[in-house]
Amino acid sequence: MVLDSSMPGIAPRTPDRAAAVPSGIGIGLRTAHYRELLARERCVDWLEAHSENYFGPGGYDLDVLTRLRARYPLSLHGVGLGLGSASGFAREHLDRVAELVRRVEPGLVSEHLCWGAADGQVFNDLLPMPLTGAALDLICSRVAQMQDVLQRRVLIENVSTYVRFAGDDYDEAGFLNALATRSGCGILLDVNNLYVNQCNHGADAAAQIDAIDPRHVGEIHLAGHFATELAVIDHHGARVADAVWVLYERAIARIGRVPTLIEWDTDVPALEVLLDEAARARRRFDSAAVRDAA
Amino acid sequence: MRLERVQSAFAAALGDPRRTQDIVAALDCGDGRAAERIALYRGNVAAAWEKALANAYPVVRALVGDEFFAALARAYGKAHPSRSGDLNRFGDGLPAFVRTFEHTNSLPYLGDVAALEWAVHTAHYAADAAPLARDALAALPADALLAARFAVHPACAWIDSAFPVATIWLAHRPDSGQALPGSIDQPERALVTRPRWRIEVLVSGAGEIAALDRLRSGADMECAIGAALAAEPQFNFARALVRWLDHSILIA
Repeated sequence: MVLDSSMPGIAPRTPDRAAAVPSGIGIGLRTAHYRELLARERCVDWLEAHSENYFGPGGYDLDVLTRLRARYPLSLHGVGLGLGSASGFAREHLDRVAELVRRVEPGLVSEHLCWGAADGQVFNDLLPMPLTGAALDLICSRVAQMQDVLQRRVLIENVSTYVRFAGDDYDEAGFLNALATRSGCGILLDVNNLYVNQCNHGADAAAQIDAIDPRHVGEIHLAGHFATELAVIDHHGARVADAVWVLYERAIARIGRVPTLIEWDTDVPALEVLLDEAARARRRFDSAAVRDAA
Repeated sequence: MRLERVQSAFAAALGDPRRTQDIVAALDCGDGRAAERIALYRGNVAAAWEKALANAYPVVRALVGDEFFAALARAYGKAHPSRSGDLNRFGDGLPAFVRTFEHTNSLPYLGDVAALEWAVHTAHYAADAAPLARDALAALPADALLAARFAVHPACAWIDSAFPVATIWLAHRPDSGQALPGSIDQPERALVTRPRWRIEVLVSGAGEIAALDRLRSGADMECAIGAALAAEPQFNFARALVRWLDHSILIA
């Protein structure tokens, strides 16, 4: 018998690559897990890859990404564009993101609310922005440029910071809301970063979650951190802390079941550990008493 | 302070702990430890750069030791700050840097080892290409073979060194069974290839390198063989051709 997609109850099976938007719980894609992810059945809802790791024109990493892309919805997460760099913003870097987006057709594309270059140097770190009107103008124009080049909406993530600036006009939630409203981008809400900033600067993370406009949030990040005597460091090298789980529950209850990522970038453990963290996120995700987001 | 000036002051403080004054004045850290917090960023940048170099230069690192490598990474970062948000590009200047770095004078081969490692690093991300099939080559009559212009795989690169760089590199590959060379006074040509995904480093010869040089610049096989024989009278074309097929050096 030939299955016809027009028959009742049978969904069309035409592969629609562009439709594979992440939903549910994902994990960050790390080299150490390539073989296992390729060998085993689908074990998580979606994957997120750091765009810069796949900038080369070919080779093993890009081949693995392409093969996993056939099995998992994919998010491309940029760490090197430095959208907030007042000078030295590299159009060439954006073009390389665009080339990768064309190649792998991810369901989500994201970058950070940060800067990374000044005086002809690139610092390869997510450096903190003053949250001023001038900074908002700059970030809005860069996000508009990014969305124009990529021909799609992007998500912008709040970063953790060790310092904050005097004379800020906005708190993080206010800045992100204004950015999303003006540029049309979405928000990637990193709950761990809110918590880290609460520890480092006293900014109430729960209040920030309550102030974020839920309509703009397209993804949530969860990760581990470690505390030093001087500051809490967002190192992505541990399990999600209990206080962050509590904030996550608050976030999904308020925002809804947006795709959620477990990040682990330092001292990457066995895949099972990430999947166990993903399972912890899923229990909260599934049982969330989601408030009517309208 | 204008945004550009704030970032410029931040950048100055990242580069030099003595230049934190301007940025600290623009910060609001209740605990009075803003300079120490800026130092955390300075440490992050140095760590990211060192990690990127360690990733590209594992053999150089093994040769000089972790502690010296960390110092080398800091000195390199000061002399060649990163110019790209893509950390895989950071380190392209390290071979030239170690050739002039006063503290590596006693290791004259280090620059060429670094150059070989950069070729390996670049090969890892090079474009994919279908290797030339044995059958396609076997079907060619001799005159067609001599007139053919085969392209060299984009991942291939070669280093002509006064030191045994290929042997040194192979001796550091786990499970290679290759011992370190007994003497460093032993010129060697290293050929980097990437059959499918795994990088290989082969000990090459003057003839083979001359031939591949010509093929890469678009010459036909007859010209390549002529160049190889001029560079190395004992060059064995049949053996070279088999090796080029075995290691996916020529592409369709």
